[in-house]
Amino acid sequence: MRGGQTITEKILSRICGRRVMAGEVVMPEAELITVHDWYTVNAFRTLDDFGVTKLHDAARVLLVTDHEPLAVSPQAFARQHAVRGIAQRFGVAHRDAGRGGLGHVFPVEEGLVTPGMFIFAYDPHVTNYGAVGALGVAVLTEIPEVLACGSVWLQVPETLRVEITGALPFGVFARDAAQKLIGSHDAALFEDAVVEYGGPGLASLGMDARHTLCNTPVELGAVSSIVESDALCMAYAKARAQRPIHAVLPDAGASYRTRITLDLSALAPQVALPPTPDNVVDVTEAAGKPIGHAFIGSCASGMLDDLRVAAAVLRGRQVAPGVRMIVTPATQQVAADAAAEGLIEVFMRAGAMVTAPGCGVCAGGRIGGVTAGEHSIGTGTRNEPGRLGAHEAVLHIAGPATVAASAVAGSIADPRPFLREAAWGMAA
Amino acid sequence: MSDLTLRGRAWVYPDNVAIDGDLMALEWALKRETRPEVLREHVFAGLDPGFPNRAKPGDIVVGGRRFAQGNPHIQGMIGLKGCGVGLVAESIPIGSFRNALAAGLPVLPRCPGVRAMFANGEEIEVDFAAARVRNLTKGTEATFAPLGEHLLAMLRAGGWGPMFRRRLDATAPA
Repeated sequence: MRGGQTITEKILSRICGRRVMAGEVVMPEAELITVHDWYTVNAFRTLDDFGVTKLHDAARVLLVTDHEPLAVSPQAFARQHAVRGIAQRFGVAHRDAGRGGLGHVFPVEEGLVTPGMFIFAYDPHVTNYGAVGALGVAVLTEIPEVLACGSVWLQVPETLRVEITGALPFGVFARDAAQKLIGSHDAALFEDAVVEYGGPGLASLGMDARHTLCNTPVELGAVSSIVESDALCMAYAKARAQRPIHAVLPDAGASYRTRITLDLSALAPQVALPPTPDNVVDVTEAAGKPIGHAFIGSCASGMLDDLRVAAAVLRGRQVAPGVRMIVTPATQQVAADAAAEGLIEVFMRAGAMVTAPGCGVCAGGRIGGVTAGEHSIGTGTRNEPGRLGAHEAVLHIAGPATVAASAVAGSIADPRPFLREAAWGMAA
Repeated sequence: MSDLTLRGRAWVYPDNVAIDGDLMALEWALKRETRPEVLREHVFAGLDPGFPNRAKPGDIVVGGRRFAQGNPHIQGMIGLKGCGVGLVAESIPIGSFRNALAAGLPVLPRCPGVRAMFANGEEIEVDFAAARVRNLTKGTEATFAPLGEHLLAMLRAGGWGPMFRRRLDATAPA
């Protein structure tokens, strides 16, 4: 008897039109192909080199400008101009600066990505699409083939099953859970696998939290992440779907690389120390280290829930002297909602800067980065040397509450006393 | 023995060899250099700078776990291809494995136990089509998971570019 299937195997089986299992090499046709600003020019230059003048299906291609939305160099002006020309020439959708924001997030918000969909993208953090039960896989060198022919080879990945149990304690958030998850297991578990989230604790996590959980495993080599399409996911998707929904659940007898448990209730706020995102400790072990640069944003933690908790910490307080703080809402929608809720005002009055929606500082340090000798704490995806500018800068990663508390304190700080004082989570 | 067989000396490396820095300086990725004859001179510049001068075509790099880990830049794989060597490893992250195939570098990415089979410099023979690795010095051999038809075709074609060319030609209107 043949074994059951994981979510990933089911999605790829639908795409391939036959039953496929982990390990097989397949040529799946993507239902959406996203390419981000910096890479678009190179990918289409390769198409030119190969004499390709027509895409396989221009309607499936989405160009987004998010890594450097507000161009600040002549090179960036030229690159943005080139992307606009490419979009026009090939007749593909282009969400330019100011017209969407971070391409790992707004397609979910707008229902362009729906449960069960399969997506190829030229960026590792396409894994965020798993928040809504879609499978997003990054392809770099071969993305021109996907654009020209619709597909490229893919080995059906094995799946690592993560059973979520419990509920987050006071002052602990999805980013803490995500960092703890990648910090407490061997990278070999994650490598080349899809992380599949389910379990009784899932229902307590909102869509923004699910973006965060789907974002982080790629730092340990996961191919993608995907959350079971539960009632919350389906209600969210149905309210905005612009594409068909093909939601699938894993079979009871699905075969996993292994199963692990993520107990939310056992967690404290986490800080990733240099030099890698999985080098995590409880905030109490890092507290007191001085910082001069604080960033809230990125596809890991730039959603509305992230800005809400950051604002709760910052409301009525000031960013410490000697600290510059940058807040980047992930998308236009997040920015607009944050403004409507008064969160932007809180950031401005606290002495923070709010920048154009997109990747923010995390996109290689082209915006508001750090120089040698500076110490930073932020919610970006990675903290390897050089990620935010100078190789010699010292980079920490934490959740938005911890970053906001640290910005106020001028050194890495436990957010829980701040949140307690702010009566976070108490009914108004 | 298939057409995809290499025979030479084993170059044994530890776990967690990084793409950037160990295998090749990041500057070549930032320069978008893709010429094998240029990149071959810079292979293992950070870890084993003598490699390009001493390695001979047919030699095999024997990597440990997570060989070529990090941000998957293709330049290191193109450099190895330029040296005429092959690559087997305990494990290679998927992004680097894709790049190795794209560069046309003969590769076996999942060979648990392969590093323990070799001391540096021993005689090695790898049949990439059969996924069979032999230590000719010790007379040992092991077989691993095969690449499958499509990926072998890609190696035979010389990498992603020629394979893409072939696909475009096959689907072009007459």
